[in-house]
Amino acid sequence: MKKWIAAMLAVAACVGCRREEIETTGPEAKAGEKITVCLLPKLKGIPYFTSCYAGAKEAADELGDIELIYDGPTEGSAEAQAAMIEKWTLQGVDVIAVSPNAPDVIAKSMQEALKAGINVITWDADSTVGSREFFVNQATAQAIGVGLVDAMVNDLGGAEKAQGDVAIISANTTAANQNAWIEHMTARLKEHPNLNLVTIKYPGEDQNNAFQDAQDLMKAYPNLKGIWGITSIAFPGAAEAVKQADKAGQVLVVGLATPNDMKLYVKAGVVPSVVLWNTQDLGYLTVHTARALAKGTLKSGATEIEAGRLGKKVIAGDNVLLGDIMVFKKENIDQFDF
Amino acid sequence: MRALTAKLKTAGWRQEYVLVMLLVVLIGVAGALDPTFVTARAQLKLSENIWGLAILALPMTMIIITAGIDLSVGSTVALATVTFGLSWHQGVPVWGAALLALGVATAAGALNGFLVSKVKVHPLIVTLATLAAFRGIAEGASKGKPVTPLPDAFTQFGDTFAGIPVAAWVFAVLAIVCALFLGRTPNGRFVYAIGHNERGARFSGIAVDRILFLLYSLSGLLAGVVALLYAARRNTASPEAGMGNELDVITAVVIGGTSIYGGRGNIVGTCLGILLIHETREFVRWYWSSDELNLIVVGSLLVASVLAHRLLRFGKK
Repeated sequence: MKKWIAAMLAVAACVGCRREEIETTGPEAKAGEKITVCLLPKLKGIPYFTSCYAGAKEAADELGDIELIYDGPTEGSAEAQAAMIEKWTLQGVDVIAVSPNAPDVIAKSMQEALKAGINVITWDADSTVGSREFFVNQATAQAIGVGLVDAMVNDLGGAEKAQGDVAIISANTTAANQNAWIEHMTARLKEHPNLNLVTIKYPGEDQNNAFQDAQDLMKAYPNLKGIWGITSIAFPGAAEAVKQADKAGQVLVVGLATPNDMKLYVKAGVVPSVVLWNTQDLGYLTVHTARALAKGTLKSGATEIEAGRLGKKVIAGDNVLLGDIMVFKKENIDQFDF
Repeated sequence: MRALTAKLKTAGWRQEYVLVMLLVVLIGVAGALDPTFVTARAQLKLSENIWGLAILALPMTMIIITAGIDLSVGSTVALATVTFGLSWHQGVPVWGAALLALGVATAAGALNGFLVSKVKVHPLIVTLATLAAFRGIAEGASKGKPVTPLPDAFTQFGDTFAGIPVAAWVFAVLAIVCALFLGRTPNGRFVYAIGHNERGARFSGIAVDRILFLLYSLSGLLAGVVALLYAARRNTASPEAGMGNELDVITAVVIGGTSIYGGRGNIVGTCLGILLIHETREFVRWYWSSDELNLIVVGSLLVASVLAHRLLRFGKK
């Protein structure tokens, strides 16, 4: 019987070591006034979201009155996300910030959380209508479209020198994000008449097709100076084609992907610029938005929000805009790991 | 320790008492640490996470009593889910798609049953193969994409009826039927006989092959039911559905006192096993907010229960 008692005591002791070391807390904050913010990524344990979390933690440490819980499905299932939202709703946390994997799957649990009086926001990706109060939008379609064109123009030697044929490799013809970016890209390209957009390719979500498309482009347009790969699939596909054709520096490849995916090509001189947003700032702004909402300083209809070191950020409708894109180049890409 | 188990044995020791004791301790500790966890509201909501597994555990208990196993349940759930999602997406009315899903799931179970009972391949091998194959078909047919959203007329089955989740009602009815079948009918007793001594059962004129075939088919059918309940609850028909369910279900059955060597076990034990796994896991999630702890907890419970069995067996001698 002694062994049983010992075992139970051991279990009790384990249970006793609470979650102190997991959560971040400011030293000066009083216990009763803490705002519990749950940050739910699409998938826990991948560099992209871990870097978002780093920014969120920074904000929580600065503010001092935030209890930040960061948890998400380890295998990326939307059902697991829904179960977590339900659990947090029962626990009565203050804010749930979600990056939804599948909006339809978790919409119900988000609506229930709202009904229970919890503030619900989305970040990184948006959900369905009526299931959240604000969306922390990492970059507008315009910022991305303009950013992609400007990066290419810059890499081709600036507005005066840049000239020749350019092409875009997208995903499917129905991809909403990509189509919005292309719209802003073509608008921006009008300011650079020396650059001639010859075609837009739609290889689908298939890296081999994108690779093939890039090879075809180089054959069909001898004066081709640049290719945009505007998905994280098309971008490395196009870069690989240019690399294998030994045209590094002659045909520039610029696009949208995480720095880690493209490091190899950046160092090989194939890709001069990788365009993305600052993921740490995204996490940082999300926590600031969550806190303002819980404190009641952020209300529906607001047009801007004070966000610590980021200063004032614009709110368009119910989108809190991080706004700026970030360009990763050979010189700075090693500082980022996601 | 051996003396202790022997003493308990003579005092009418049963696996069920230990499980109830553990549950009481767990709930007590959980309630002391966070009273919100043990409220009826929280428990009812959290229970929605377990009914599917509980339903799958019923045929699994009977199959393990025959000294068999069905590793393919989770993949069968996926196969049925994808059948439902795709056929509805192609324009089949929603009830037709549901029937089709149940049919495909039953056929999948029947395939297992045929290979086990007629071709005489070991169930571990058969269902390991179909675990991979069914999941592969589900992923391939759906190209990995979930069908979502589903019609409201269907997703209402993911809600509650008279305040209790629909899935809980389904489980309650099935559990009673299975318990009565195992305990009170000749065929139910034959299930134990097969697990004790299959040759002996055959020589006694028991229709071993037919019983095995039907048990594996039932496992498939109920996997289909679970597939529909999952899809309704989460408004999605995903090829990822049921992923890893076999681990949870088999763990619950074994913790519940069903012998993996066959011949021993019952539905009450399985219900307690399910409850113990469920409460442990939900509390770990609740308290530590760390998804990765989940698998560790289930794995540890399985090892612990196997060790407990070992001790009991020594105690008997």
